[in-house]
Amino acid sequence: MWTLLCSVPAPLCLLSLLPPLSPAAPISPSEPISQAYSLALYMQKNTSTLLQTYLQYQGSPFSDPGFSAPELQLSSLPPAAVSFKIWHAMDDAERLRQAQGAFLALTQHLQLVGDDQSDLNPGTPILLAQLGAARLRAQGLLGNMAAIMTALGLSIPPEEDTLGLVPFGASAFERKCRGYIVTREYGHWTDRAVRDLALLKAKYPA
Amino acid sequence: MGVYSWWKQPSWMVGSQKRRMTPNLPWLLSALMLLHLSVQASSLKRGAIQSLKCTTSNMQVWDCTWTEPPGFSSGTVKEVCVRDRLRSCHRLETTNIKVAALSPGDHEVTVNYLNGFQSNFTLNEKDVSFIPDAPEVLSLSADFTTSTLHLKWTDKGSAFPYPLKATWEVKVLRHPRMETIKLASFNTTLNGRDTVHQWSWTSDLPLECAPHSVGIRRYINHHRFSGTKKWSAWSFLKNISWTPDSETNVFPQDKVILAGSDITFCCVSPTKVLSGQIGKTFCPLIHLYGENVAIRVQNISVSENSGTNVVFTTEDNVYGTVVFAGYPPDVPQKLNCETHDFKEIICSWNPGRPTGLVGPRNTDYILSESISGKSVVLKRFETLTNESCRLTFQMLPDQEVYNFTLTGHNPLGQAESVIFINVTERVAPHVPVSLKVKDINSTVVTLSWHLPGNFATINLLCQVEICKANSEQEVRSATIKGAEDSSYLLAVDRLNPYTVYTFRVRCSTETFWKWSRWSNEKRHLTSEATPLRGPDTWREWSSDGKNLIIYWKPLPISEANGKILSYNVSCSSNEETQSLSEILDPQHRAEMQLDKNNYIISVVAKNSAGPSPPSKIASMEIPNDDVIVEQAVGMGKRIFLTWHPDPNMTCDYVIKWCNSSRSEPCLMDWIKVPSNSTEAVIESDQFQPGVRYNFYLYGCTHQGYQLLRSIIGYIEELAPIVAPNFTVEDTSADSILVKWEDIPVEELRGFLRGYLFYFQKGERDTPKTRSFETGHSDIKLKNITDISQKTLRIADLQGKTSYHLVLRAYTHGGLGPEKSMFVVTKENSVGLIIAILIPVAVAVIVGVVTSILCYRKREWIKETFYPDIPNPENCKALQFQKSLCEGSSALKTLEMNPCTPNNVEVLESRSIVPKIEDTEIISPVAERPAESSEPDPENHVVVSYCPPIIEEEIANPTADEAGGTSQVVYIDVQSMYQPQAKPEEEQDSDPAVAAGYKPQMRLPINCAVEDTAAEDEADKAAGYRPQANVNTWNLVSPDSPRSTDSNSEIVSFGSPCSINSRQFLIPPKDDDSPKSNGGGWSFTNFFQNKPND
Repeated sequence: MWTLLCSVPAPLCLLSLLPPLSPAAPISPSEPISQAYSLALYMQKNTSTLLQTYLQYQGSPFSDPGFSAPELQLSSLPPAAVSFKIWHAMDDAERLRQAQGAFLALTQHLQLVGDDQSDLNPGTPILLAQLGAARLRAQGLLGNMAAIMTALGLSIPPEEDTLGLVPFGASAFERKCRGYIVTREYGHWTDRAVRDLALLKAKYPA
Repeated sequence: MGVYSWWKQPSWMVGSQKRRMTPNLPWLLSALMLLHLSVQASSLKRGAIQSLKCTTSNMQVWDCTWTEPPGFSSGTVKEVCVRDRLRSCHRLETTNIKVAALSPGDHEVTVNYLNGFQSNFTLNEKDVSFIPDAPEVLSLSADFTTSTLHLKWTDKGSAFPYPLKATWEVKVLRHPRMETIKLASFNTTLNGRDTVHQWSWTSDLPLECAPHSVGIRRYINHHRFSGTKKWSAWSFLKNISWTPDSETNVFPQDKVILAGSDITFCCVSPTKVLSGQIGKTFCPLIHLYGENVAIRVQNISVSENSGTNVVFTTEDNVYGTVVFAGYPPDVPQKLNCETHDFKEIICSWNPGRPTGLVGPRNTDYILSESISGKSVVLKRFETLTNESCRLTFQMLPDQEVYNFTLTGHNPLGQAESVIFINVTERVAPHVPVSLKVKDINSTVVTLSWHLPGNFATINLLCQVEICKANSEQEVRSATIKGAEDSSYLLAVDRLNPYTVYTFRVRCSTETFWKWSRWSNEKRHLTSEATPLRGPDTWREWSSDGKNLIIYWKPLPISEANGKILSYNVSCSSNEETQSLSEILDPQHRAEMQLDKNNYIISVVAKNSAGPSPPSKIASMEIPNDDVIVEQAVGMGKRIFLTWHPDPNMTCDYVIKWCNSSRSEPCLMDWIKVPSNSTEAVIESDQFQPGVRYNFYLYGCTHQGYQLLRSIIGYIEELAPIVAPNFTVEDTSADSILVKWEDIPVEELRGFLRGYLFYFQKGERDTPKTRSFETGHSDIKLKNITDISQKTLRIADLQGKTSYHLVLRAYTHGGLGPEKSMFVVTKENSVGLIIAILIPVAVAVIVGVVTSILCYRKREWIKETFYPDIPNPENCKALQFQKSLCEGSSALKTLEMNPCTPNNVEVLESRSIVPKIEDTEIISPVAERPAESSEPDPENHVVVSYCPPIIEEEIANPTADEAGGTSQVVYIDVQSMYQPQAKPEEEQDSDPAVAAGYKPQMRLPINCAVEDTAAEDEADKAAGYRPQANVNTWNLVSPDSPRSTDSNSEIVSFGSPCSINSRQFLIPPKDDDSPKSNGGGWSFTNFFQNKPND
């Protein structure tokens, strides 16, 4: 069993090193914000379905009604939970960077979970399709966020391998738990992204 | 074994003692010692075996020990001598000695102490125990993934130069309780040199969860050694424990096990484990080492795809593992190998029972061919419940026989099937493609198709399915030389020209295994050919007889052999030939003006391939005078005709028919029947029920057609739709002559079978005659079955009576509507006369007879009806009454006192209903006044009443009960006879009269006490006067015998009372009353009432 440490993500540490906002920012970030917000809203509708579908195929106790294991965390995946005070104190750039980092990690983890499930549940095209779709949407949201950051004149952090060497050789139980955390965090991060983007949308009306 | 003996000499010990003791004392001591030793000797002798114990671990050296006798400290120097072949002695301080293995048999061992004390033992191999050395464990290792312990040790066989059987015992102990959880024993052979042995054991509890220790010992069975053989000591325990090397805490991880087996899961946890569950089921925790726990799962069920989860929960974390329970592969079922194209062999099979394992745990199959040594592998990843699997094996050149073994294996085991085939006998060709059809002629086509595959070495067997519209499909087979990836040609003959065919092909091989699937269908229209025969022809002369109309029928498709484009018609006689050509197809009729010569008419049909043979018919018919008209009725849409065979008719028969109501030339259709037929069923959609058709049967001779029979018929008879029109021709007093007309054929709708004639008495518009109810007795019915009859006389009728006549026609189809008529028969005059005359004559005769009788009996009549009225002067009534009053009261009735009206004032309320006695006697007339008084019951009603004397006896008893006033019968004379009321009113004015009411009954008493002269006064005083005024009396009763004496108030007969009350004033049984009184009363009464009416 892995007990995961909520270490401070690297992008957060590098935050102070980021260059100041470029004065040559594009004029209207409202369009990418609106697109990203629409996509996030759309993703939000499907996250609980993805989690339920995922749990349904993992057997009891995962598939038991009301299953929840908030104590399970992945060190390679930043948790979405944040205190409101901290979240509120963040500026747009910080929020965007955290979300961007999280969805980057989520896309990689969703790929990993898809691979795990094609091994554990090879005969479940529904689950595999939903995992694939979630990954594509997360990638889409990443693209939209990059566009927003560009529009706001923020620099886009480089893509990094968040998974590293961790996942290989995991036991079936670890893989099931990992998938659970990823699909759960995908929902949480989507919820958080909707709030982030709603805030941005209010700030940059069309 | 050994015996201690006490030697007197030579013993240095004894000698030393001797030196220290006095001469007397030694004797005493000797005696005591002797006693002691004898006791000790006997005790030593008993324990001799324990005293000298010899063991050996290698059979070569015996290690013997003994215990010092009492009194000798350890370390005492002694000499031990063992007598074998040689006598060898050793000087020792210890109590054990190693001696080389002695030869069999007893050997004397003597232990001599320096003090002379000596112990003797007898040593035999049988007394030696053989205890091998404890085994030496070389290594103990653990395979944690499989929970298996591996133990290695050496058997030290070199210690024994010859082969020996050894038994080993291994024990496994589990910490912390160090209980033995496994004790295993097994045998080996020692073969003279050191050999390393290995033992493995798989723990049901994962080894990670608790340290384990292993020890081993041995037992060597040395058959030549006669002593005791014993187990060696246990080796040193070797421990094995798990050092955590990953984050995994639950064991075993991702294990695949057989469904239904038992398994233990354990959890290594630093903190207290709260629960353990498999799937949804919580299991009791088995506490192990430290906080480690385990759960035991028995009879595990098949897992779902992602495995069964086992989860342990602590206060702050969850740990888990997944177990995959399933089955080893089933034996592949229905393994079948065949080739489609001689290039590759496809083997298919059914995996059988699902293993319940998917993904990397799914069953892999290897198809290996033993002759060529080649194999192919099928790796399945997804779950395949019961689907068929297949593997393709490339065929090898020059190899026809293949021996396949299919092996399926998964983590739980493997299973295999074998099949041995000759591939040439297992050919199921691909479906033929590119099917094409090519015309050769109108009846032959060539089919070509492509069949992929290398069939060069074999012959193909192919089938062609030929399908024609509206007919059964035909399958033809052909053997074709095979080729490599080639097209194949096949000619198909015996087809019909100008016909649409659908072809399809399938192939197999001569050594039949399976058919290929059918190829796609190919439709093809064969080319045209000349028509098979000329059209079916008939002719009719036009109504004016100048033109001959020639009819022909279109040729059926099967005979037209193509699309008929036109017809040529020619008429030829000996003299001339007329022809009409190129009559285009839809027209099937031609008209030619011909004279009455006999022409041969010839009709030819033409299609694109050419003309048909001509069909010929003569224009003239052979006359026949014997034709009679017959009737026939069909069924459904068919009519059945039969005829007698006629040998003269050589060609055929023709039956033509037409609707009988059509004008000439009448032809609806015709059919031809072969000359050997004697019957025909004529069927046409044009036939309608209730329509009359004419059928004509013609026979064909070489000269032409001759009419043989003429038939009128119906397909189905219906009831007439009109009633016969009938009239009354003649009517007499007792008969009616009815005449009717025929019904037209169109309205008859069947063959007329008769008429039904009903008649009954009845007026027009009376409901009774509206319809004839069946079974009504009044209805008379005549069934006229002679259809030629057109009149009917109905006889035996009553004169001057209205009759309802109804006539209906009927066929086999039913009754037609009815036509009805009302006819009144004539009066019967004779009867009327008789009816008048007879009553008149009877009346005259009766009158005459009566007159004669009356005349002859006039005296009697007079006596009876008009007796002489007695003279009142001679009346002795007063005297008689007086005497009567003096006599019995029963004779009171003879007092014919005039009914003196009295005035009565009725004071009772209305509720007191006057009691009316003897209502039968009181007439309705008398009752009415009482009723009329009711509407005004509150008023004081002054009524005149006439107490009915007859009631006297009846009324009196009741009067006694209820009081006199209620017993009065009131008769409202006043209301009935107003004129009579006047005298009463006059009397009312007289106070004396008004005051005194006296019942009538009192009157006779008064009469009795007073003289007759006073009677008038008395009457006046009582206020009673005759109810009828005398004048009135006279008027209304002229016939009364007393009418002349109107003033007499005591006249009883014809008293006014009787007039009004209609009471029997004189009882009829009164013997004293004259008879005439009764009769007179009756008549008077009768005539009196009359004026009132």
